[in-house]
Amino acid sequence: MKIIVCVKQVPDAKDVKLDPKTNTLSREGVESIMNPFDQHALEEAVRIKEAQGGEVTVITMGPPQAEAVLRDAVACGADNAVLISDRAFAGSDTWATSYTLGRAVKKLGEFDLVLCGKQAIDGDTAQVGPGLATRLGIPFVTCVQKIRETDGNTVIVERMMDDGYDVVKASLPLLLTVVKDINEPRVPSLKGKMKAKKANITMLSAADLEAEATCIGLPGSPTQVVNVFPPEPRGNKEIFTGSVDEQVDKLVAKLTPYL
Amino acid sequence: MINIDKDLCIGCGICESQCPFSAISMVDGKAKAGDNCTLCGTCIEHCEQGAISMPDLTKAVQADFGSWQGIFVYAEFRKGVLAGVSLELLGIGRKLADKKGVKLSAVLIGSNTGDTDKLLIQHGADVVYKADHPSLKNFCEDSYAAVLGDLVKEHKPEIVLAGASAIGRSFIPAVATKLHAGLTADCTGLEIRESDGALLQTRPAFGGNIMATIVCENHRPQMATVRSKVMKALEPDVHRTGDIILVEPAVSALTSKIEVLESVESEGLKVNIQEADILVSGGRGLESAKGFELIRQLADKLGAEVSASRAVVDAGWIAYPHQVGQTGKTVAPKLYIAVGISGAIQHVAGMQSADIIVAINRDADAPIFDVADFGIVGDLFEVLPKLIEKLDQR
Repeated sequence: MKIIVCVKQVPDAKDVKLDPKTNTLSREGVESIMNPFDQHALEEAVRIKEAQGGEVTVITMGPPQAEAVLRDAVACGADNAVLISDRAFAGSDTWATSYTLGRAVKKLGEFDLVLCGKQAIDGDTAQVGPGLATRLGIPFVTCVQKIRETDGNTVIVERMMDDGYDVVKASLPLLLTVVKDINEPRVPSLKGKMKAKKANITMLSAADLEAEATCIGLPGSPTQVVNVFPPEPRGNKEIFTGSVDEQVDKLVAKLTPYL
Repeated sequence: MINIDKDLCIGCGICESQCPFSAISMVDGKAKAGDNCTLCGTCIEHCEQGAISMPDLTKAVQADFGSWQGIFVYAEFRKGVLAGVSLELLGIGRKLADKKGVKLSAVLIGSNTGDTDKLLIQHGADVVYKADHPSLKNFCEDSYAAVLGDLVKEHKPEIVLAGASAIGRSFIPAVATKLHAGLTADCTGLEIRESDGALLQTRPAFGGNIMATIVCENHRPQMATVRSKVMKALEPDVHRTGDIILVEPAVSALTSKIEVLESVESEGLKVNIQEADILVSGGRGLESAKGFELIRQLADKLGAEVSASRAVVDAGWIAYPHQVGQTGKTVAPKLYIAVGISGAIQHVAGMQSADIIVAINRDADAPIFDVADFGIVGDLFEVLPKLIEKLDQR
């Protein structure tokens, strides 16, 4: 099976801390990592390849330094790595991003399955996966928590819903976005890391993709951020004092209007 | 990348510390943007010297831009029930429609939808487009996207709203992609800009540490998914009248390439936690699955739903649909009681829109107290039984 995995380089959320004085992000020492959901997508792709044979191609769109996540992916079992990078892509919203990824996937040729993380933890939109499937003209299923069966023609998956999950059958080619429940990503082996160091990264620019200038980057993005501001400080921070009994009494009194 | 005026820049470094992408560095005492600048604009807001500006990249205006009018709300119907968020969207949709002097329409997609159409009118819709067909019984991404997309193309609403639910966030992006529409995910604020009537869409980013207002100036429709429990539904008015228009979806729209074989409800999940008014949420401090039982007892006492931090879900004490936070669900209940949850940024991102937050934790320095309205510092194994007992006596 030919599988394409879309990954994104994001700031590591666990390093992002709130400065309590200014209520702004302190980003000192924040590292860039592969988006956690994408790690699960990659792991699933490698598992399918190991079980059934095939090839895993990992693609990312980002600045030149996003190459790092592609090498991480190779270390974890991806066979090919493609970096889609061009200054012309800067400012892309999800519409322009799905356009660009769509051009890239089409250029890479035949495929059976595209796997994406459910969402990236920096933007949290969850819009690129469904958008990419639409560009490719293939069906998609989002928030997959388990792939039950795959053969060369169809897959049966569990799709997470708000109240549980649906068991869904779909035919290939297909795009799936995955949640973290689907698997436990592996730690790269030493051999994998060696392979990653030497891996050949294919570079694709806007010109390579023959991308329309009106569809990429800021000019190709229908949405635009017009204002960024800190959230209203919240929490009146009333910490009760006294014995446990007294504290609980005070809490019950405060809660009563809301019950 | 972003424009930085070297003559105005004083090298104060504020932009460097504010850039969410670490894309700005100080070179020879002046700010310099790197290749990883995404043009998010955060630095522009923070530059006190006015030295930073967006590059001048003009966007083409859609050819039929002016002919789009009215507001659509996707009415989410599944397993015989209309999602609560749909009524909330009619509430905000009504306000926006009145402000613009246009019609508010609901698009109802499903099978055996019964009197849901009337319910939508009672809650503020002027028109209901009803696509009720056996083939639409189960949610299929492609069919639903085709049905809604075709209706949007035909009626050209300037705004399309949907709930930021599993269903909404799944197929709405496909509709937006097809229509070349701007789409903003998981909004918590919507208003009309006075100057040009554009929809201002506000959403949290970076785990809720930044709020961003997003606008779609040159394309229609302007689409948004909206978090549940943030907007208010109108009181139903049984005398309200409106048009119910039956929609016969195209055959191509009804032939889905995916098939739902079975629908399994999660154990212990009475309602979607995003729709709950009260959530009792447990964290690592409960120490064991047995300890977590206290959370269920308190929830039962309050008529609340149970939710949890990631640590608890990872430990297997409760299933993933109950997880609150960046990698789980985003909730905004009236009351959120966090027990034994330290309040890591990823968790807070998922619950800070709650009206009232109560924190119970033994560590007085736990960050959860920074966002709490009321807090008890103490041993939860002592506090919780007492709280349950006092609620009983109430």
